[in-house]
Amino acid sequence: MSCPTTDHELTAYLDGELDLTSTLEFERHLEDCPSCARGLAAQRALREAIGAADLRFRPTSVQTRRLRNAMAATPGEHAALRLPSWRGLQAIAALLLVAVASWSLGRLWPPRTGPDLSEQVVSSHVRSLLAGHPADVISTDQHTVKPWFTGKLDYSPNVVDLASQGFPLVGGRLDYLGNHPVAALVYRADRHVINLFIWPAAYTPDGAGPEPVATTRQGFHLLHWTQGGMTYWAVSDAGEERLRQLARLLRSS
Amino acid sequence: MASYATIEAETATADPVEMLTKIRDRLFRQDSRRARFEQAVLPHLDAAYDLARWLTRNDHDAEDVVQTASLRALQFFDGFHGTNARAWLLTIVRNSFYSWLQKQNRGHEIGDPFDEDIHSSEDGSVPAPDTELLRQADRRVLRLGFESLPLPYREVMVLRELEGLSYKEIAEIAGIPIGTVMSRLARARRHLQDFLIAQGVKEGRR
Repeated sequence: MSCPTTDHELTAYLDGELDLTSTLEFERHLEDCPSCARGLAAQRALREAIGAADLRFRPTSVQTRRLRNAMAATPGEHAALRLPSWRGLQAIAALLLVAVASWSLGRLWPPRTGPDLSEQVVSSHVRSLLAGHPADVISTDQHTVKPWFTGKLDYSPNVVDLASQGFPLVGGRLDYLGNHPVAALVYRADRHVINLFIWPAAYTPDGAGPEPVATTRQGFHLLHWTQGGMTYWAVSDAGEERLRQLARLLRSS
Repeated sequence: MASYATIEAETATADPVEMLTKIRDRLFRQDSRRARFEQAVLPHLDAAYDLARWLTRNDHDAEDVVQTASLRALQFFDGFHGTNARAWLLTIVRNSFYSWLQKQNRGHEIGDPFDEDIHSSEDGSVPAPDTELLRQADRRVLRLGFESLPLPYREVMVLRELEGLSYKEIAEIAGIPIGTVMSRLARARRHLQDFLIAQGVKEGRR
């Protein structure tokens, strides 16, 4: 029997890369063409075997550390790789002086907390996902998580489980943001992880009001508000609407 | 980006406080450039290693290639304005690998030993593969099968089957048309099926 359908179409169909019309056409064709149906079954079996075997190579933790260290040790600029000239050395000396001076000045002129802090919040969120264990204390019980912070922080964050409203509590951990140790609560929303950071508003007086303010950064959504003298930052790749829901629930609890 | 001399030149001003402010902002921008880079690239280090490991076929060379690639990525980060950091990084990993391969004088590995005729099924004579045998293929045999693929086929299979990239992303990474991605995947899968069935026969599982 002659079949005009090529392996290519079969492959693209398997990968979900055919457009709608071609997909429908191909599915009609499959019904009448046992040879293509067998070919597809074989390709599916192969894909199942590959999926089950997980053939990915992952760097060992030692390799990951080496790679990160190599990156951290690189200035990342072409110019800086050249040997410094006398003028360059002068500039470096001047810069060192300036760095010390600006560091001291930085203590007098607190850096604008707005953009800086949201960046730190996103970094911390990403780090918690990368590390693979977002929570130091893993519990869905608010009465386990809340006391865990006692003695670790000089304030007590409000911990509520919102599992029945679609935001199950995963746990909590200590984090360090805006030069202070802060409470991070980890919630789940469907398959997304939400990090909720809570600290006394007095740490970072940035004038955020009780109405949540949304921003996005690197594809992550952030929501920021104050409530009962505490600053709240929620960050996730779940949609902004989900974060707003969480904020509403927390503010009414 | 800027050398120290340019920072000095750009920030030179009569007012020392203004100058300090400018330099401070400038340093802050560089810090945040590094932070942005790490956030964009670090989450994809595992994928980068996976691709490099499959291309080089050993741990040590894979690490070297990923290291070269991540340093290049850091240098060229200012040129990255897209949203797909993973595809961007994998493109650099792939390019770093091919430069490395040339330095090793192993360019011949790029060749394509597949015989067009054997693997073409356009005459419609698709043989009936043993799906049960394929489904039961274990990790060791599958690894051997992937390793037996010539480079141009191995890379598209790794990107598609292991890293789950779309045809469009693969086409951009490998610098080939989408149609070529499709035909390479089709032939690679056919080769793997034949390989697995031959292995199954050898081990008397039939």
